[in-house]
Amino acid sequence: MPSWQDFQPFLVTGLALGGVYALSGVGLVVLYQATGVVYLAFGAVGAMGALITWSMISDGIANWLCWLACLAFSGVVTLAYGITFGPLLAKRDPLVKATATLGLLLVLFGVMDLLWTTSGGESRAITLPTDNGGFSIAQIQVTWTQVIGLAVGVVIAAGTAAFLRYTKLGTAMRAMANDREITATLGVPVRRVEAAAWLGCGLLAGVAGLLLADMVALDATTLTFLVISSLAAALIARLRSIALTFAAAIVIGVVQNMLVPINAVSNYNDMTPFVLAAIALLVLSRRQVLSRAREDT
Amino acid sequence: MLETTEVAASARHRAPLRRPATGTLVRAVVIVALLLFALLALPQLLSLYYVDAMTEVAIYAVVSLGLGVLVGRVGLVSLGQIAVLAIGAWVAARLLFATTQPYPLVLLEAGLITMAIGTIIGLPALRLRGLYLALLTLMVAGALAIVLASTNFPNGGHGFLGYNGSLINIPPIRRPSIATNDPAYYRYAVVVAILMFLLVFVHIRTKPGRAWSAIRQSEPAALAAGINTTMYKLWAFALASFVTGVAGGVYAGAAHYLYSIDFPAQNSIILLAVVLMGGAYSLWGAVVAGLLSQLLPALLNNWGVSNDWLTILFGIGVVQVLTTAPRGLADQVPKDLARLGRLLLRLATKPTEATAEGTANTAEGTANTAESEAP
Repeated sequence: MPSWQDFQPFLVTGLALGGVYALSGVGLVVLYQATGVVYLAFGAVGAMGALITWSMISDGIANWLCWLACLAFSGVVTLAYGITFGPLLAKRDPLVKATATLGLLLVLFGVMDLLWTTSGGESRAITLPTDNGGFSIAQIQVTWTQVIGLAVGVVIAAGTAAFLRYTKLGTAMRAMANDREITATLGVPVRRVEAAAWLGCGLLAGVAGLLLADMVALDATTLTFLVISSLAAALIARLRSIALTFAAAIVIGVVQNMLVPINAVSNYNDMTPFVLAAIALLVLSRRQVLSRAREDT
Repeated sequence: MLETTEVAASARHRAPLRRPATGTLVRAVVIVALLLFALLALPQLLSLYYVDAMTEVAIYAVVSLGLGVLVGRVGLVSLGQIAVLAIGAWVAARLLFATTQPYPLVLLEAGLITMAIGTIIGLPALRLRGLYLALLTLMVAGALAIVLASTNFPNGGHGFLGYNGSLINIPPIRRPSIATNDPAYYRYAVVVAILMFLLVFVHIRTKPGRAWSAIRQSEPAALAAGINTTMYKLWAFALASFVTGVAGGVYAGAAHYLYSIDFPAQNSIILLAVVLMGGAYSLWGAVVAGLLSQLLPALLNNWGVSNDWLTILFGIGVVQVLTTAPRGLADQVPKDLARLGRLLLRLATKPTEATAEGTANTAEGTANTAESEAP
């Protein structure tokens, strides 16, 4: 058994990764609440945004412009998908809506593989300027990127919770989570609120894509399927509670990284999100056998 | 309830008196002719490259069939079927290295063991419905992929895992003695696929099939009608896992060497896409899905076109199927061809009114599509 000393650096990376999972999870929960869509292309959009940023940086364009391009791409693609297919599929089963986003995932995945071929063996990386700076607490080296990862997670989670609680648009989103038809009857511009949720989710996908490209790897497949880990946090919260999503994301990030120094399981540490989400799904659904009957359309 | 039983009973009495409809007869003849062509003529006509591709088509048609049972018959979406295929291949490879049993027996055992694993995973998952079940299968598949990546596939080594890390003198996975070369193995794979299709066909036409369609339409109603929904859903899981496990066994022999990168997570998503595009509600859809996912990449490779275009196409296809044509290509193409045929016929007979008729026909077509969206 490794000593506490060995775990310390992994606690830091775990918290940072957990922060990014939290930010992605919150984006997924808000979009699901407002539109009923589980956005499985979240990771793919962020990945492509990050790859665009990488290409622009290699071309020597100013860094901040490249980061903005990533956010703009993710936001625009997500918004365009939401505006086009959201209304078309609005009355369908949540399962159909989620499956349709797999279509977007495949399209983006194909485009990424086509434009940024990986066969050459060249490795890409995005290094944020915050990677170099940092400080140490009790002999643990912490980079500013890791601080940003956790901080952005906290800020987004708290900000979103406040936004949903106190603003007019947030109230409209919560109303739509309860009942889309009645909300429309009350005069809420349903489509516009949905579009806002899509745009917000897309921007978060861009942020998550950039941070994960720096922290994990800039690789289309890895980033595309990291959405599953973020989704795990959202699923543990039953796609409802922001606070629970945040807590679950931090736990997943920390556990996943704390397992690395333990030799017996270090090969399996990436299973953490899947296993935790599977257990949570099964435990939380114990009393839910027929209560979802309304979804049978 | 009583009335329907009576009607059903009288229908059963009348049935033997009627001659089989000519449509059924024609369909049977067409199917037999196609199968004979696929079994006897195709290996002679095609180069080895395409024979191998067609072997993959036969394997993936069975995998699609398994997913089609879940999606089309019971309404359960699984995003982890490639992981199930990997389990089948793993078990078959382990058995083939460990024993000298005849190949069909190994296939049967691989199917049964995969079925047991699938059922064990499926049992708790049955508490979940729809979206949550799909996401759970995604999670389980992700976890299995990580396990497989670190255990690796058996390659003649010792121990339970049968993995020889030194990677020298790795024997290939054996094939049945009657089908050692590629064309013979292709025929073998097609025969196995036919047996699996027959197995599923029998299920669909008998009691389980009726129970599944009742569950698909409304689970509370099925429960109220006295159907043991849990058992039949589990049965569907078991059947799908069994055929997928057998397909995995056939895959092991076809590939000779297995690697965990042959079963990437995105393939489960592509599989769902092609099954939906092919048409989850018909058995033909599974064949179409097999062709889409295995023959098209082989064709494109041969022409030097990147497979990424295909991924993009499948992505567009799945959105198109979900928004406008839920029954997939197997249903849509014959309809469209018939419509085109009618249009051409009218063009030929009444050249002057052709344009007017054409527009009317299109309008009819749109109505048709809207109608078929209902289920």
